[in-house]
Amino acid sequence: MTTLTKQKPPAPAPLRRPANRRGTSPAMRAEHSIARSIGVVLLWAVVAISIGMLVWMLLQAFRDTRAILSNPWGMPESFDMVNFVRAWTASDFATATVNSVVTTGVSSFLTVALAAPAAYYLSRVESRLTGALSMYFILGLGIPAQVILIPLFVMLNEAHLTDSLFGLNLVYIGVSMPFTVFLLTAFFRSLPLEMEEAAALDGASALRTFVQITLPLAKGGILTAFVLQVVSHWNETLLALTLIQSTEKYTLPIALISFVQQQTYSGADWGGLFAGLCIVVLPMLIVYVWLGRHLTEGLTLGMGK
Amino acid sequence: MSAATTTRRTASSGTERRPKEAGRPQAGGSTMDRQRRKLLVPFVGPAFIFYTALFIIPAIGAAWISLHKWAGSGPMTFVGIENYLRVFRDPLFLKSFGNTLLLLFVVGAAIFILAFAMTLVLRDMAGKKIVRSVIFFPHLINALVFGVLAGFIFNPGGIVNTLLAPLGVQNPPAWLAQDNIFPLIMATLVATTTGYFTTILMAGVDRIPPYYYEDCALAGATPFQRLRYVILPLTWDVFGTCAVLWTISSIKIFEIIWVFGGSSGAGIPPTQSWTTAVYTYVTAFSGQSTPAYGAATASAIISLALVSVLVVVLRRAMRRDAVEF
Repeated sequence: MTTLTKQKPPAPAPLRRPANRRGTSPAMRAEHSIARSIGVVLLWAVVAISIGMLVWMLLQAFRDTRAILSNPWGMPESFDMVNFVRAWTASDFATATVNSVVTTGVSSFLTVALAAPAAYYLSRVESRLTGALSMYFILGLGIPAQVILIPLFVMLNEAHLTDSLFGLNLVYIGVSMPFTVFLLTAFFRSLPLEMEEAAALDGASALRTFVQITLPLAKGGILTAFVLQVVSHWNETLLALTLIQSTEKYTLPIALISFVQQQTYSGADWGGLFAGLCIVVLPMLIVYVWLGRHLTEGLTLGMGK
Repeated sequence: MSAATTTRRTASSGTERRPKEAGRPQAGGSTMDRQRRKLLVPFVGPAFIFYTALFIIPAIGAAWISLHKWAGSGPMTFVGIENYLRVFRDPLFLKSFGNTLLLLFVVGAAIFILAFAMTLVLRDMAGKKIVRSVIFFPHLINALVFGVLAGFIFNPGGIVNTLLAPLGVQNPPAWLAQDNIFPLIMATLVATTTGYFTTILMAGVDRIPPYYYEDCALAGATPFQRLRYVILPLTWDVFGTCAVLWTISSIKIFEIIWVFGGSSGAGIPPTQSWTTAVYTYVTAFSGQSTPAYGAATASAIISLALVSVLVVVLRRAMRRDAVEF
């Protein structure tokens, strides 16, 4: 026996295959046409230009208007925050930023807090009523904001809630319901039922099952819904423009619009404007870098099905 | 009340009976189901109230207002469909409506062709995650920002003209002239929106299992055949979703037009670049003439009708038997 094993021919040298670094099978990357290579180059160009634009905008925010206009490609001489300080103090971006942060935070939180139980119910109980309710919520997805603009203004005016951030928050919550309920319903449906059944077997009430079992399981989906609302409320313009009139209640987009419009009278202050743009864009960049995975996942979860 | 106590008692004492019930499918859920059903009002109620009060009632109100002549305060006079006839005779509205259609179809077509081409290139290219996350980012930025930046870039002394000068362009077009603004807006929208739709299409293409491609390669399919017989049929539903998404969002386009070029003299963009959303806002809130709430809502309702018709048509046209894979 031992001799036999010894006489066994050495294993053939392993076939040398090129390392498959991309993780795709070789059959899938068979062709290398010219059109494809051009496409790849163009795509990287798009990426470079996008990043370049962002960096360029950031850099210009540190230069004064005359320098920007004489040489738009120039580098800032120093990183002093004079534009930011001026935008922050003189142009009321400070109040607007606080308003935007508070409005976005409060309305996004409340939207998700109200939509999550509703979505849970609609995803777990199957009856003709829940079917109709789901349709009722989805209906809102197709109604553009300008339709409800004027009636909302009239209604809130009656209730003395125009020109009030409280009113704006209420509106944001109501308007965000369809999408959030829709997204979270899809998300709750994708969760396994077994844990909830086990909790029910252990005698937990339906409410307790929801709070202690489902909510922790759904943390990812709920965070996604929250971040999507943060993005949309931070950028919302039309409703805020209609419902808010006094400067001290402006949200950032409205402050930016009024800043742009002042310039037609007072001459262009591009330095300040770039600083203003950065104040609008940077929080989104931070959110994206921090929670971007949730964002893209959430969008594809909501849209793909 | 008694029903509630009985259910609670069954729930607490139900542990011994449970194994018997578990034999039936879904039986374990029946007590749970009954308990859950009672949560209808506390769970769905608040969302329902907010949504109804701040979305559905205003939408119904809009239909009502659009049938009246009303300046926002004072008496409402019922005029029937007069407002609709009036806006369709208004050259400003026709221009706005035409622009909205241009955005919807021309920009939409450009976005889809580009996004699909990008998806095909991205599908198996190195570093696709980086590319994908970069091209998605503009979706998170307020369109106001692009409008303002465009004003700087296309200024008479701005970046584009300084770049064109060495190429021998002596008399560059007046980019921000009132007639040229709308095509520029369309181009900007294509540039800033394509990435978002590429990301969604990519999610669809990524779901296709790789063995389909391998089978294509073994069967000697050309890239075009692979596209025609594998990729398109398997991502058809995602295309449908994207088309619906674009229809809904293109009707709302407002911000970028409002500040494009930063050139809005009196705070109102030149009429050549209006969309129906801008028309609605200006007609009701510009403060330049008597607000015509009736006509403004009528124009909004017309956009709503356009969306509804298109969504129904799209769903019809895109309906195929779902491909399971």
